[in-house]
Amino acid sequence: MSWPVAKLALRLRLPAAISAGIGLIAVIIAVGALFPAVGHTIGKLNIPSSVAGLLGGANYGTITGWFQSEICSIYGPLVVGALGITAATALTAGEEDERILALTLAYPIRRAQLLLGKAAAVAVIVVVVAVATGIGLVVGVAVGGGGISTGHIAAVTIQLAGFGFATGAVALAIAGGAGRRGLASGVATAVGLGGWLINSFAPLVHGIVWLEYLSPFYYYARHDPLTSGVDVLGLVVLCGLAAALTVVGVIGFERRDLRG
Amino acid sequence: MTASAVIETSGLTKDYGAGRGLFGLDLEVREGEVFGFLGPNGAGKSTTLRLLLDLIRPTAGRARVLGLDTRRDSLAIRRRVGFLPGDFALHPRLSGRVMLGHLAELRGGVDKRAIDSLAERFDADLDRPVRQLSTGNRQKLGLIQAFMHEPELLILDEPIAGLDPLVQQSFHALLTEVSDAGRTVLLSSHTLSEVERVTDRLAILREGRLVVVDSAQNLRHVAVQRLAIEFAASVAAGEFRALPGVREAIAEGPIVTVSFEGSADAVVKLAATHEVRAIRPREDDLEDIFLRYYRAAPGDSGPGVDLGGRGDHGASA
Repeated sequence: MSWPVAKLALRLRLPAAISAGIGLIAVIIAVGALFPAVGHTIGKLNIPSSVAGLLGGANYGTITGWFQSEICSIYGPLVVGALGITAATALTAGEEDERILALTLAYPIRRAQLLLGKAAAVAVIVVVVAVATGIGLVVGVAVGGGGISTGHIAAVTIQLAGFGFATGAVALAIAGGAGRRGLASGVATAVGLGGWLINSFAPLVHGIVWLEYLSPFYYYARHDPLTSGVDVLGLVVLCGLAAALTVVGVIGFERRDLRG
Repeated sequence: MTASAVIETSGLTKDYGAGRGLFGLDLEVREGEVFGFLGPNGAGKSTTLRLLLDLIRPTAGRARVLGLDTRRDSLAIRRRVGFLPGDFALHPRLSGRVMLGHLAELRGGVDKRAIDSLAERFDADLDRPVRQLSTGNRQKLGLIQAFMHEPELLILDEPIAGLDPLVQQSFHALLTEVSDAGRTVLLSSHTLSEVERVTDRLAILREGRLVVVDSAQNLRHVAVQRLAIEFAASVAAGEFRALPGVREAIAEGPIVTVSFEGSADAVVKLAATHEVRAIRPREDDLEDIFLRYYRAAPGDSGPGVDLGGRGDHGASA
């Protein structure tokens, strides 16, 4: 891994990640503040199971269900995934499009070193946003009246980071192998959003339940970290997927012509 | 590869399909020379330079740089080479100083005084964000990063693009110093006049194939030169057409544009018999050089002028 490459990548992308993290914290605190006022009312609604699936169970009557539905099932993975994909794409295929990589790779640095440096920066960005989500949850839960342990919030943070690594690595693998920014961000977004939909609907349709095993979202949320803590196996799958995809990206990048 | 060859390519080919790319390039650049790589856009110049740095991989053939194989020993080559890409780009939000610091780090460190000295020489602004710099000022950063570690070989793609005449002078002076120090330069351009003053030899590429390798002086003999002469009053173009070596003379109001081969002496002397307000040289027409070489029958020594023994013609060097 190239430390100068990772350092510059963080210099370029970290400010956006920190801004997104601060915004996320503010949103989560606001969501926490709403719970005492509306949680009990919404909790009595009879929500169809398909919609409830999309909303992480939609058990709005408890503070755990409230945050599970509002933050852990939608906003958290959405922001972490988006930041991971955007950073991975911009730092690789984006720089290739902008002809910056042609200069960097004329320097004495291996392509694998370069891509691993970028991957490390993406991982840091994902961790920053995941940690921001965790901080937001700690404050938001306190504002909402308490009731969720810090350990379980840490579990969400860790699972979120795993989800971000996996979706970011999808973008990295395609950007490394094909060098196309649009393709990389499009496929990675499709994997993230498609995974969310599959995870929500597959259990409801007999015969396609197995599809949920293909979704990164499943390995993020299958054991509901906010109530059950860290899902070690899910985390291993997400991190293993991220590592394997990064290797695929490196191999593809090593073998092809630089575009432009 | 001869002992003094810094770059040697053998049948180097990059086929992009539809006739685009580089085909069967045999080229040798000798140690300590400033070698010009000339051709119109799309001729294969940048493709060659990118192949030498392993940014793209050949379809066929091979290349050696500094005695090393460009595929197997790419990292070692890049350690010893300074490169300016033709479409030089940096992160627009960062300053030149930050970017040069980063690039220096990629080399494991570069003497800061070398960067400052080059910046002073080119009058480069290192503190403004790259996006606020003009094309020429960005190009100065490109030159600094290519020269800053005093590489054994400089590969420069269109190095003076966007530079003002004063900075071009500084650049040419630097090239002379580099050459005097025994270091080698390969630079590309699409106009002969840009490189003829600084290069020892030139290669001309056209449509991916090497047309000729020769000294700039010899190529100048076969190049068609153009002068636009502005007179105080209208002058008949026919006067110039009668001169030896003149291929074309066109009058537009008081301006006569004369295309000629070889010496400008007769043209200038005839112009001086009238009141002349200005004389401006026009771009060399590389296409004319190509056509003259293509017109030469196989086995001819050159395009109608005696170049035998003074240079290397045809698709090898």
